[in-house]
Amino acid sequence: METLERSKRYMNPYLAGLIIGIAMIAAYYFSAEGLGSSGGFKTVVVATTNAINHDYAKKTKFFESYVSEPESRPIKTWLVFELIGVMVGAIISASIAGRLKIGIGKSPKITNKTRLIAALSGGILWGVGTQLGRGCTSGLIMSGMAVNSLSGYIGLAAVFGGGYAIAYFFRKLWI
Amino acid sequence: MNEQIFVSGKNIPEIIPNLELWGGPIALYLFFGGLAAGIIFFANYFYLRGRSNTMVMTIKVAPIIAPIIIAIGLILLVADLNHKLYFWQLFLHIRMNSPMSWGAWTLTVIMIPAIVWPLYYLPESIEYIKQRAPKSKLIGLFSWINNFVRQFKIILWIFKVFEKNQKLIAYLTLYLSVILGVYTGILLSAFNARPLWNTAILGPLFLTSGISTGAALLIWLSNDHKEIKKFSRLDLFLIAVELFFIIHMFMGMKAGSIAQVEAGLLFLGGPYTAVFWVTVVGLGLIFPAILEIMELGGLKISVWIPAFLVLMGGLAFRFIMVSAGQFSSYHII
Repeated sequence: METLERSKRYMNPYLAGLIIGIAMIAAYYFSAEGLGSSGGFKTVVVATTNAINHDYAKKTKFFESYVSEPESRPIKTWLVFELIGVMVGAIISASIAGRLKIGIGKSPKITNKTRLIAALSGGILWGVGTQLGRGCTSGLIMSGMAVNSLSGYIGLAAVFGGGYAIAYFFRKLWI
Repeated sequence: MNEQIFVSGKNIPEIIPNLELWGGPIALYLFFGGLAAGIIFFANYFYLRGRSNTMVMTIKVAPIIAPIIIAIGLILLVADLNHKLYFWQLFLHIRMNSPMSWGAWTLTVIMIPAIVWPLYYLPESIEYIKQRAPKSKLIGLFSWINNFVRQFKIILWIFKVFEKNQKLIAYLTLYLSVILGVYTGILLSAFNARPLWNTAILGPLFLTSGISTGAALLIWLSNDHKEIKKFSRLDLFLIAVELFFIIHMFMGMKAGSIAQVEAGLLFLGGPYTAVFWVTVVGLGLIFPAILEIMELGGLKISVWIPAFLVLMGGLAFRFIMVSAGQFSSYHII
């Protein structure tokens, strides 16, 4: 019974937000960069492309700036290590709360296949969008607003406004 | 007039300034060698401790993997040779001061118990798999192998001899498995021209790492609670020993000659720093150790996560050591 109660226990969201804020200050202090997630994935893509076909990466506009120096190591950026830390922390936190298991979170009315296809398409759109917008919710909005950048506030309005506007059409995926 | 041809010792591609001969296959082979040594070590050790009936996975089922991965490792090794067709010459020579010769012979000899041991236990292994995973396709394959093998009288005779002398064979195999595990490290440390490798601690370090990956695989495969708990404890101990060896390796290098100091600096600020300390020490040793401690403390954690991390850490460790060792050399100042 005790484990069941524990499994339902999540951290207070306001407290968690405060801790993220402190982590943000620490990130700026130690690495001179904010928090982010899409940037880490982008770096992995850039490094993989560079490793497989350096000439192509050198010629393509998107990759060019990351791999132009002969000894550049695109993978060696703070965000990659931050993401590893996020995964490690998530596993530890979930196991302390007794929630660590493999599963597909979805509405009971749709199949696993639908959920996975929707998640993949959403992820692809997210990847394209973050590169057009120069960052995701964490990199653009959180880190941007932390330094009082205007693009952060615009991003906030656009992401959440867009989310509310579109959510109606995809509500069947969740309810 | 006498003509003289002067060949500079410096123009040796792939050897100077850095060795560029060994790639992924060698690292993978060292990983498989260590893993097989770990599996065989535990099977024989717990057999000798008289646990045949309580630790079925460790003693009877898991050893099936050992000869398969040794064979894959040897195929990788032969594929790496320049003159592939001459590989058999290793088996016609014994050279006492060549670790490669020791390794080739150890592998040859250990292959015999590594194959006979799981074949002898195959009927019990099939039973075990039938109980735990009745739909597994392995059952059909193993049954076919079992029936095929037991047709031959000579094999039945081998089993008889094996049964009679099993204790003696287990002692010998246990000893051989330790040699196999140490050899994966000694193979590298015998290179006196590569300061990173040329340290005596590499043998015990690779042995510990190999046995630790073996324990991790057994944690993953077993679904017996007692067995998992036992191996989690063992693995924690092995991780601690490994960390101890790693720290002492770098302490030794820092206190060594200038070449060794430089070799150590590859990992303490040089190009291998981040990848080594994050993937091998962080994700491959400390993080799984934390998860295993939490699990032993009573929290529910899928055991495959720490096991997978330890295995990947062991693999990354070998890739990094093989690559960094070739990079380190005696620079002429």
